[in-house]
Amino acid sequence: MALSPQYFINSLLAASTWALIGVSFALIFRVGKFFHFAHGMVFTIGAYSTFMFVDRLDMPLLAAIPAGVVSSMIFGVIIESAVYRPLRQRGSRPLVLLLASLGIYIVLQNAISCLFGDDTKSIRFARVAEGIDILGARITPVQIFTVGASVILMLLVAVLLRKTTFGRAIRAIANDQELATISGVATNGVFFWTFAFGSALAGIAGILVALDVDITPGMGMNALLMGIVAAIIGGMGRILGVAFGALLLGMAQHIGVIWLPTQWQNAIAFIILVVFLLFRPEGFFGRRPGKVAV
Amino acid sequence: MDYLLHILILINIYVILAASLNLIAGYTGLLSICQAAFCGVGAYTAALMSLKVGSPFLVNLVLATIISGALGTLVGFPSLRIRDDYFVIATFAFQVIAFSVMNNWVTFTGGPMGLPGIPQPVILGWDVNSHGEYLLLITMLAAVVLWGCHRIVHSPFGRILMSIREDETFAFSAGKNVAACKVLVFMIGAAMASTAGVIYAHYISFVDPTSFTVMESIFIISIVVIGGAGSFWGPVVGAIVLVTLPEILRFVGMPSSVAANVRQILYGGLLVAFMMLRPQGLMGKYAFGKGGATQ
Repeated sequence: MALSPQYFINSLLAASTWALIGVSFALIFRVGKFFHFAHGMVFTIGAYSTFMFVDRLDMPLLAAIPAGVVSSMIFGVIIESAVYRPLRQRGSRPLVLLLASLGIYIVLQNAISCLFGDDTKSIRFARVAEGIDILGARITPVQIFTVGASVILMLLVAVLLRKTTFGRAIRAIANDQELATISGVATNGVFFWTFAFGSALAGIAGILVALDVDITPGMGMNALLMGIVAAIIGGMGRILGVAFGALLLGMAQHIGVIWLPTQWQNAIAFIILVVFLLFRPEGFFGRRPGKVAV
Repeated sequence: MDYLLHILILINIYVILAASLNLIAGYTGLLSICQAAFCGVGAYTAALMSLKVGSPFLVNLVLATIISGALGTLVGFPSLRIRDDYFVIATFAFQVIAFSVMNNWVTFTGGPMGLPGIPQPVILGWDVNSHGEYLLLITMLAAVVLWGCHRIVHSPFGRILMSIREDETFAFSAGKNVAACKVLVFMIGAAMASTAGVIYAHYISFVDPTSFTVMESIFIISIVVIGGAGSFWGPVVGAIVLVTLPEILRFVGMPSSVAANVRQILYGGLLVAFMMLRPQGLMGKYAFGKGGATQ
């Protein structure tokens, strides 16, 4: 097999959804300082609620997509205010929040299995689009839309973090939560909106995936793990770093397919992750994580 | 009757898995999501050895602990560089890679089809073939593992483990070889977990990758956390509670199609509830970091 442009299109496509999940995950990690595993289910909920609105409630797709994003936001915010905030206020350590988020993940995934069944569902358009020819590679309009939406949203996050009061508050809390609180940053409010915003991004990623391929209740775990790997490769603190990490991961996976069968893609991703964790845990662009707490 | 014995056998298997994870996560404070992978290593070693080589049970058992211990050492190494959430992700990575190998290396592991027809164990002339005998065997093994855990925890080595959990820098400054202890406890925990896998493979007489998934690893963590991390009886209590509780669903007459999901919802919900109300678990010793003073 030759290295055709199709591989680059495929990696770009995979990278654009992983980047969205990775960035939103990293955003929540910077504020909350723990791994929010339930984020994977927020992603899945975006896809499944859109499916529900289109398939079960016969809503037009253009109305169902915003409704799906809002559903993801609502779930993210509920998780934050019902579970994480009480835990934080009791001074729970990050590992406790991580364990709680694993519990939430399991509950939500199985709830979706119960409601919709374990089989694959689809909200793809009725007819499969022909695909446009670019340099000998095929790309469908939905896929172009996915890449475009991802790039725009990443730029939006970057601007938000740099130019707005909300972004400054996020960066303040990321740096030193205590100091931020003392300086008058409304910590709980910032947490709330960070989860709302991050969950919306994850929901959008879920819907973009759902528009392109089939959905299953377990789709969130894999997507989230790829997002986390992208975020760690790129460095948790940097938006462009995460995007770069996602692209690198996408390339490694899709070009690795030339030598290894497709089913080894996950193993490739995690071997890359372990290499990074061992030799450069701060990622390409980030600061060193996990300093010893005194 | 066989049903009851089956439940007891399962409880014992999970006692071994949870007790071995308790050494790593409960006493040393290194939360890890890959105990099911070590169990799988044991199960596949037993399956492949008895099917391809025809080796006896005890040889499989010893070989499984050696292989799994070596892999455990490997997984323990990242703990020297990274901590907490990042370390969890590293162990997660091992779990995913191990599952990938079990699922995708079809010529060696049978892939998703698994490996059927694993023979019953014969131990020094003792032919283990009834549920009762399996229960006896697994209970003996669980007792040995628990005894081992007890000895380790009450040894000077065990005190170093707990001091690493409480304050790694302090343990280091007191001249303890923190790095060696972390890797060693991982090796021991992994070796112990593999023994559960060996018995499981011979008992079910069939192994396939779905028994050793991420979800299974999370289930084992739930047992440790809900039972009480860092306490001797925690894994035992946790295993009894989490294995028997879903069985009650069977008697309520829940259709088996949703029973599996409801079982997982149950333990996921319990995990959240315990984190919120009683992070130190039922037998309460260690709550994954001291509450109160953070940062």
